[in-house]
Amino acid sequence: MVRRAIGTRRRCQLNAPPVSDVTAALAERVRHAHVTGTALRITGAGHWLDAGRPCRADASLPLAEHTGIVEYEPGDLTMTVRAGTPLDALRAVARGEGQWLPLDPFGHLGGTIGATIATASSGPLSAAFGTPRDHVLGCEFITGTGNVVRAGGRVVKNVAGFDLVRLVTGAWGTLGVLTEVSIRLRALPEIDRTLALETTAGEARRWLRASAYTPLAAEMISARLATDMGIGSRDTLLLRLGGNRALVHAAAESASALAGSRDVDTTVWDTLRTREPADAAVVRLSTSSSQVAALWDRVASIVERAGGHAHATLQRGIVRCMLPVQSDDAEEHARLRGIVGALLTLGSSVVERLPSSLWAKMVPPAASDALSIGVRRAFDPGHVLNPGILGELA
Amino acid sequence: MKPSPSAIPAACAIPGTPLSNASAGIDACVHCGFCLQACPTYITLEDENDSPRGRIVLMRALVDGSLPLDDADVRTHIDRCLGCRACETACPSGVPYGQLLEATRATLTRMTPNPFLARLVLFVFARQVLLRLAMLGGRITRATRLSWLLSRLPGRAGFAMAMLESTRSAMRRRHYTPTGDGARGSATLLTGCVMEGLFANTNRATERTLVANGYSVVETPQQRCCGALHAHAGDDDTARMLGRANVAAFEQSGADFIAVNAAGCGAMMKEYAHLLSDDPTWRARAAAVASRVRDVSELLAEAGPRSGGALDTTVTYDAPCHLLHAQRIASPPLRMLGAIPGLTVIPLDGSEHCCGSAGIYNLIEPDVSDRVLAPKLANIAATRASLVATGNPGCLMQIGAGLHQTGARCRAVHPVDLLDASYAAQAHAHRTP
Amino acid sequence: MPTDVAQHAAPDLASRLAALVGERRVLARPSELRSYESDGLPGYHARPALAVFPGTRDETIAVVRLLAELDAPFVARGAGTGLSGGALAEGSVLLGLHRLTRILSIDADDARAVVEPGVVNATLSRAAAAFGLHYAPDPSSQTACTIGGNVAENAGGPHCLKYGVTLNHVLAITVLLPSGEVVTLGSADGERDGYDLLGAFIGSEGCFGVALDVTVRLARAPQAVRTLLADFSSVNSAAHAVSSIIASGIIPAAMEMMDGPTIQAVEASIYAAGYPVDAAAILLIELDGAAAGIDDDAARVDAFCRDAGARGVRIAAAPAERARLWQGRKKAFGAMGRIAPNLVVQDAVVPRTKLPAILAEIQRIAELHRVLVCNVFHAGDGNLHPNIGYDATSADETERVHRAMAAIMQACIDAGGTITGEHGIGLDKLPYMDALFTPATLGAMCALREVFDPGRRSNPGKVVPVHSCREWFAAPSARAGGAS
Repeated sequence: MVRRAIGTRRRCQLNAPPVSDVTAALAERVRHAHVTGTALRITGAGHWLDAGRPCRADASLPLAEHTGIVEYEPGDLTMTVRAGTPLDALRAVARGEGQWLPLDPFGHLGGTIGATIATASSGPLSAAFGTPRDHVLGCEFITGTGNVVRAGGRVVKNVAGFDLVRLVTGAWGTLGVLTEVSIRLRALPEIDRTLALETTAGEARRWLRASAYTPLAAEMISARLATDMGIGSRDTLLLRLGGNRALVHAAAESASALAGSRDVDTTVWDTLRTREPADAAVVRLSTSSSQVAALWDRVASIVERAGGHAHATLQRGIVRCMLPVQSDDAEEHARLRGIVGALLTLGSSVVERLPSSLWAKMVPPAASDALSIGVRRAFDPGHVLNPGILGELA
Repeated sequence: MKPSPSAIPAACAIPGTPLSNASAGIDACVHCGFCLQACPTYITLEDENDSPRGRIVLMRALVDGSLPLDDADVRTHIDRCLGCRACETACPSGVPYGQLLEATRATLTRMTPNPFLARLVLFVFARQVLLRLAMLGGRITRATRLSWLLSRLPGRAGFAMAMLESTRSAMRRRHYTPTGDGARGSATLLTGCVMEGLFANTNRATERTLVANGYSVVETPQQRCCGALHAHAGDDDTARMLGRANVAAFEQSGADFIAVNAAGCGAMMKEYAHLLSDDPTWRARAAAVASRVRDVSELLAEAGPRSGGALDTTVTYDAPCHLLHAQRIASPPLRMLGAIPGLTVIPLDGSEHCCGSAGIYNLIEPDVSDRVLAPKLANIAATRASLVATGNPGCLMQIGAGLHQTGARCRAVHPVDLLDASYAAQAHAHRTP
Repeated sequence: MPTDVAQHAAPDLASRLAALVGERRVLARPSELRSYESDGLPGYHARPALAVFPGTRDETIAVVRLLAELDAPFVARGAGTGLSGGALAEGSVLLGLHRLTRILSIDADDARAVVEPGVVNATLSRAAAAFGLHYAPDPSSQTACTIGGNVAENAGGPHCLKYGVTLNHVLAITVLLPSGEVVTLGSADGERDGYDLLGAFIGSEGCFGVALDVTVRLARAPQAVRTLLADFSSVNSAAHAVSSIIASGIIPAAMEMMDGPTIQAVEASIYAAGYPVDAAAILLIELDGAAAGIDDDAARVDAFCRDAGARGVRIAAAPAERARLWQGRKKAFGAMGRIAPNLVVQDAVVPRTKLPAILAEIQRIAELHRVLVCNVFHAGDGNLHPNIGYDATSADETERVHRAMAAIMQACIDAGGTITGEHGIGLDKLPYMDALFTPATLGAMCALREVFDPGRRSNPGKVVPVHSCREWFAAPSARAGGAS
């Protein structure tokens, strides 16, 4: 017996907005695919598709048309947006209200919010603001059986029910097709200033650890990449400082003690985001933040020797390597395989892009443990959503 | 598991008992659990039945009749409470836990009496002749060093001897005549049972420091044991008898303040009005007396206290529960120590936690008491201080015995002894320039 | 769930558990189980079949494996400070994890710690303080609640406005699944590809298994802190001040509001913080970070408050004064114990811009049902805690409180909010789940739970109403995939 002093005998009413026509139509397509066993490749703007990830799809499920802002209440700093909306479009709208979504994934600036969330992609700003899992408040997605699920909500704090939002964030569409997301925005900082400092990763990390200031981003740039971006010729720390005038001024003073610093235009961050060549292998290596300088020293030299670029999000312990792929022949693949193979032994790794012929040989499945298999089976029992994209077994 | 709403039963199953009279205090508990980490027995025994929140649940069960008064588990967990009242400091709802505990014990002992040893101790403390004999016996044992010899014995007997041994004054004998103008008013000392019996030097030091700080000291000859031990153990009839005797005695003394240097006794006397609340006449008289009660540290801190001569040593301070939690007196003893030049005061981690003495608890629940004492000794050792100051005889003996048995060089001392030694050092320096 | 299923599973369960953890660590007598009939949610009582308190990781694993073998349901419990009845264990085995109190490591260089689930939140911060670090999530119960419980509830606290909730501070967890299998979720040393099962586990309210150890991120102690107390003669103007501050780009570490009745309860308690007792609302705003510029931000916040109609603003920089201001807020819920013998503690969230409207609506509901609502909440997040004191011995009053609470919850849902921001669903909020989520969403939650706990033995009957699970698993599409 549960003795209870208070409670609700009166049931409250469900007050959910109806599912949009587009979502309903998409859900119908997925349901049909499930019944017919048709594997679907979910596509957004198509900018990030050439990642080389294996995907055994029979048909594509495009969301590029599914764009637009559903709800934006600037006073709440929250926005609900359709999954196909490009990040740069979203950025323009928020900026008009003095706000931003501090999420800057690498690649094309017009990648969609849906793809960003589905792939859990982030960039230098993640040092201060976290990754997509820290920005998403709620989402609507279509499971592999065509059920429309609405997880989370539109408020900044919410622990109602099990966290399906975190589950589908970074699931690469394999647990559901994202159709709508609610995200948390921030007010733009009063001052947004970027400094370039020629220093080593070790020095930079020591400064970050001891400093009273929390930069918006602190990205280590390898010498070749710095040259390429036109910000220097040696290993360079790009430091993005935000806050009120006094704070940013003091932080810049403090950083200048580390090495000679100079101001660079904030557009340098977009330059960095879009720097990777059209044909490239991209690997992210990571370790604990105390080991990141050591990792950087080992990785940067390998990458530079191979003619590639490296940059590191120091506070997160991540070193990202971009290696040019000269041609699509076997010799080049063998060369690449050697370099990537050497890199993968250096730390935890996430492969972003790789020629597809190498993918299966070099990248272990990401969702092969019993729990992941179980989750996949529960949400997409027919295995119709992006099958194979996580290297998972059918 | 569908929750079904139902009102909480309001009926009292044990009308007329001390607990039923106090049961309004139970309702104040919102079950938030903030008391858990403040409770030494919960930390030690790791069972919520041995926590304030758990004990309140058990009390409520007694009141609503869902558990009988002779339930053995209830008795065990109520008995195991140290009564340190640290939970009261942590409680945002103001649950009068100390009063609830005493009412529960008073109710339970009517059903099942306390163990023999407890009854014997309470019997002795309630009778002046027996008490004086017992204290004399103690002093003889101490003077003949028998206590030192027997303190090696295992078990309770050895610990009791170590307690006795630890009452040997840690400070050198002090001879000086304090001077003061008495401008701060008159004070009379609750000489106490154990204090006068085993810590007579501290009582004299208390009188001297009070005089040195502008109080005139008068005597109160008819005073008795304060009754705290009896109240804590559920023997409220005896506690009331002693309370009435003291109220009458201190009414006679006419002093502005009743100075108490034993935190447990002071806490009891400040609550005389509650103790005697069953009788309106006595209640008013008790309230008047209680309003004059001060811990000696309060009186001294009020006066500064005046600073004395240098003592070149290190000390750490352990707060007696009945000073910190029951009387909510935190800084005055530290101000006393701060008035001593040359004295280095090292903060004690967990100073707010009970040492496990708790009146006669260390005799009745030796196992739990030892386990509560162990971290206290470790924290004291970590300070590397030469002395640990604490203003309650139970704590002085508990910590003193623990230090003695572990062979530590640190000694327990009452803060007034330190201040007194400082004044003596000053007087000595003036005599021999 | 049949009642006393644990007893039913094996009549000698108590002795078999005692063989694993020791006689003294298994409670079976009703008189000793009584203390474990409730958690921090007042007024709920459910009798566990047994209580067992393992003292080590190995004992915990052994206990859970035995329960798995016997198919017995269990409910993990930390300090029992939860406010949604999540640790009630009717007829189940109550698995107390409060004895697993070891801090396994504190790594100052990487600013993280590995702790057992029974470590008390404030104890971790105290231990980390030696390295100039602290654990940022600070629920009001931080002096008592455990990290394991914080993980289960995805606990927040006043300072999560700037620093985030438990989810944002946990790097990895070693999880003991209800089957007895041990798995590691998340990664303390670098990223991994794959599903965010760690994110799914945090806030799963004990339904997905038991945390054996938790790797948490520690935060650096800020260089400077300013605490402002702003005093308003209307709740509306206080809410307006909140909006302007947030819109300005200043991110306070915390921004708390208390209304008149709450202020009066606190000021009557031993935690009297010097709040103005005649104020309709106060805001407690904390700014922290680098010393440079903090006073500029404080001045702007001060101006925003005055522009919104604050009668006065006090800025505290000294630690003792700040602590006193906070003490009153942190103990507010307990202080309400003084107002009435019984108390309902609520937790709901609305979009920040809806604060003035919802507060007016709550006031209207309170008047309609003749109850006294005390509001104390995390204003920066729109996370409300409307609390109602009452006397449960009065059936009429109890019924009115019922109605008022349901109406308040409905109002929050209608405003686009949610039914819990940090207390969890537990048992208390189950009846509202159907009003917040569609059947398909609830079904998906059930499906996720089945993956971790196919037997639904871990904290049975909580979070998602049982009927939702039936619906999902009866759906032909799901059956086709064999997810049963």
